[in-house]
Amino acid sequence: MDILSATLLNLSLLGYVVGAAAGLLFLRHEKSANLFTFGGASLAALFGVIACTVPLATGTAATNQSIELFQSLIPYVQFTVRLDPLGAFFGLIVSLLGLALSLYSLGYARGFYGRKSVGVLGAFFNLLLLATTLVFLADNAFFFLIAWEIMALTAYCLVSFEHEQEETRNAGVLFFVMSHIGTGCLILGFLLLFRASGSYGFDTFHVLGDKMPSGQRNAAFLLFLVGFGVKAGIVPLHIWLPAAHPVAPSNVSALMSGVLIKTGIYGMARVFFDFLGTPPNWWGVTVLTIGTISAVLGVLYALMEHDLKRLLAYHSIENIGIILMGFGAALMFLHTGHPLLASMALIAGLYHTINHAVFKALLFLGAGAVLHATHTRNMEEMGGLAKRMRWTAFFFLVGAVAISALPPLNGFVSEWLTYQSLLQGFGTTPSLIRLMFPLSAAMLALTGALAAACFVKAFGITFLAQPRSEHARHAHEASFTMLLGQALLTTACVFLGLFPTVFLKLLDPVTQQLTGLKLSAQLSLANGLVLAGVDSQGGTVSTLGLTLMAVCLLPVPFGLWLFCARKSKTRIGPTWACGQPGLTPQMEYTATGFSKPIRMIFKALFRPRRDVQRDYDFSPYFARTIRFESHVEEVFQTRIYRPLNRLVLRLSRRMRALQAGSLQAYLIYIFVTLLLLLLFAL
Amino acid sequence: MNMNLPSTTELGSQLITLMAALMLVVQLLMVVQRMLLTNIRLFAIQSLFLGGIAVVVAFVHHASHVYVIAGLTLIGKVVLLPRLLTRLVHRIQIHQEIEPLLNAPASMLVCGGLTLLGYVVARPFTSLERLGNNTLAVAITLLLTGFFLMINRRKAITQVLALLTIENGVMLAAVALTSYGMPLVVELGIFFDVMVAVMVLGILVYRIRESFASMDTSKLNQLKG
Repeated sequence: MDILSATLLNLSLLGYVVGAAAGLLFLRHEKSANLFTFGGASLAALFGVIACTVPLATGTAATNQSIELFQSLIPYVQFTVRLDPLGAFFGLIVSLLGLALSLYSLGYARGFYGRKSVGVLGAFFNLLLLATTLVFLADNAFFFLIAWEIMALTAYCLVSFEHEQEETRNAGVLFFVMSHIGTGCLILGFLLLFRASGSYGFDTFHVLGDKMPSGQRNAAFLLFLVGFGVKAGIVPLHIWLPAAHPVAPSNVSALMSGVLIKTGIYGMARVFFDFLGTPPNWWGVTVLTIGTISAVLGVLYALMEHDLKRLLAYHSIENIGIILMGFGAALMFLHTGHPLLASMALIAGLYHTINHAVFKALLFLGAGAVLHATHTRNMEEMGGLAKRMRWTAFFFLVGAVAISALPPLNGFVSEWLTYQSLLQGFGTTPSLIRLMFPLSAAMLALTGALAAACFVKAFGITFLAQPRSEHARHAHEASFTMLLGQALLTTACVFLGLFPTVFLKLLDPVTQQLTGLKLSAQLSLANGLVLAGVDSQGGTVSTLGLTLMAVCLLPVPFGLWLFCARKSKTRIGPTWACGQPGLTPQMEYTATGFSKPIRMIFKALFRPRRDVQRDYDFSPYFARTIRFESHVEEVFQTRIYRPLNRLVLRLSRRMRALQAGSLQAYLIYIFVTLLLLLLFAL
Repeated sequence: MNMNLPSTTELGSQLITLMAALMLVVQLLMVVQRMLLTNIRLFAIQSLFLGGIAVVVAFVHHASHVYVIAGLTLIGKVVLLPRLLTRLVHRIQIHQEIEPLLNAPASMLVCGGLTLLGYVVARPFTSLERLGNNTLAVAITLLLTGFFLMINRRKAITQVLALLTIENGVMLAAVALTSYGMPLVVELGIFFDVMVAVMVLGILVYRIRESFASMDTSKLNQLKG
């Protein structure tokens, strides 16, 4: 490893440790705690960004050797890290977000002064960043699992940070349980790999799958799919995500949604493309199907939400689905022997990974600023914030455009790449399975449209029109550092959108490591101004060109106005309010109302239920009060998890007979076991 | 010297066999003994034999660190722990008789069976022993009967005593089977583990007594929800 990035990497890891220690040291001095923990984290993250970018840009990442962080006394367990291309790419994501979020937190954490311990928040925040970085860099399965567990535990502590509310505690426990189910699967999966290789080092796992018996290989695939899938939040393992993300402090939600769930994506990329060798066809089909279902269901449930942060959490499920569509297609292409297309699909997935990290974090930060100002997560009580929080509204709008995959921002680029790989996939195989590709592409199109609708709702109801509550009326702009964090991510969104070919060069070492191909040259035309699909029939697009065109066309309407309409008279009057004296917030479109058409179209899925109670004196048309309740059934909870829950509880009640509560009985259990074992050994 | 050595070894071997057998006898006495204070004294005697075995092993093999173990056993288990337990008995003023679940003849029968099992289990390993005959069998028997003692008694303090006899069995196995004893660190670890366990259990006994006005652990099931 070159000296510079090795030093910076060590500094970065050290920075997080120091930041965490500072938080505990300054438990009683909130201001110093805030400054040192989040300041330390931002410095450490800055080092991390450079340490991860340099090896990717120069291409030295491929030859990086693993370094031992500290000596281990336990056999098989080695605390080694390696900055290989895939790890460096994900390290870049966590460091970039770490930087923006730490800056934001400097302002955001002030909201906790006198209420909660900022030192504890900062310490866990640093630990989470440290553990996540180590997850991406670990070069040994044991170390990976240790980092993975630390990550899950610190995340649990952060989710339960405001544990005074019952909702928060329940969400924390749900996250904890789901996370450990996943870890259990991962441990089994790694044990299978260990059986085949005889070592826990990641270097010995490389294309190990080709040497494994197919039964074990498939078992390992499924175990890893479930294990990483829980963390990534694929349907139907997603239920913890919309529960845990909203209740965490907003900087933590951003970190969880931006980076934490990406550890699942990292794990899948690492295991499916690096460890398990040439995939059988059904792997790709499974991943693509899961991806498609997650994308569509994620966005549909998001549309039904009027809790701003839950809405964003459901969108995370959608975007994980889009990423997995790329991965699934890549697996299918690898099976049919199309490495070029596989690389493009993989790039699409990875590109969407960083894009989603950036714009989702941005949106969560915006939501955090709104929450900070209005003290509510319910969109129906917001409104009119664009006038009171100009910058936040602008940043949120950029994020909303990006996540809706509208050109020229980054979401568009990666979804375009996904479309390209899916559409070109139709010709790769003669079997019927190829119908998957256009079907998924159609679902992706549906997802994009629904996402756009959802963010019209999210932005419109939150920021436009008149304030719907007193809190919204008295909202104030966020502090400077909070805006700085958002500005940084907004810049990243714009950069990733306008200059995709520049960024694709960073992905070259990654694809070379996983599929053996470099694609950035083939994907860019005209000196990198135009992005192209790999095939000759593939499309081309230039976000930069589109933007320039828009800028050039901007004077046209003004010109037209200048020449044709200058002389006509301008009248300024109040908005027409059906003859009523003035507009009030009660006349506004509500979030629930906005999403009603979609609720009706997908009635079979949502099973909407509504209760209307009218109190009236003589005619129902002149009601004194009307109570209206509307519910959407959460199918996965009611159809899968609740029956499962009941089953487990029933079984445990049976098991309770064993727990007699008598010491003698317990001793007898142990004694009888011992005797049986002794007799068995005879 | 050369002529002398085998006879020392032989003498040592016989001494160890004798003392191991005595340990077993004491253990069986504990099974049928109903007086609590006598039980504690019997445990002290058993530990004394264990210490003796350790001294013999150390002397025959010139293994100086085994002397440390012998010393610790003598100080800790022959003097300190019995005194501690005796004081505890006086302080909580329990009445002296132990109420076993099984009566003495039945207990004796069970222990006979366990001893048989211990010998059968240890048979394949007899060639490993350098000193003494069947010390491993005695060790396993101590462990099993100790366990039985723990089940058979109701009061927490007698269960502590039973745990200590189990630990004696483990120590005996360590000294007998490995001939030079286990690494000192491991034995020290075990030793202090037991010390701490006794301390904790002592406090627990006191607390159980305070909350339930009794030391009967079978009443603990009232804690169950």
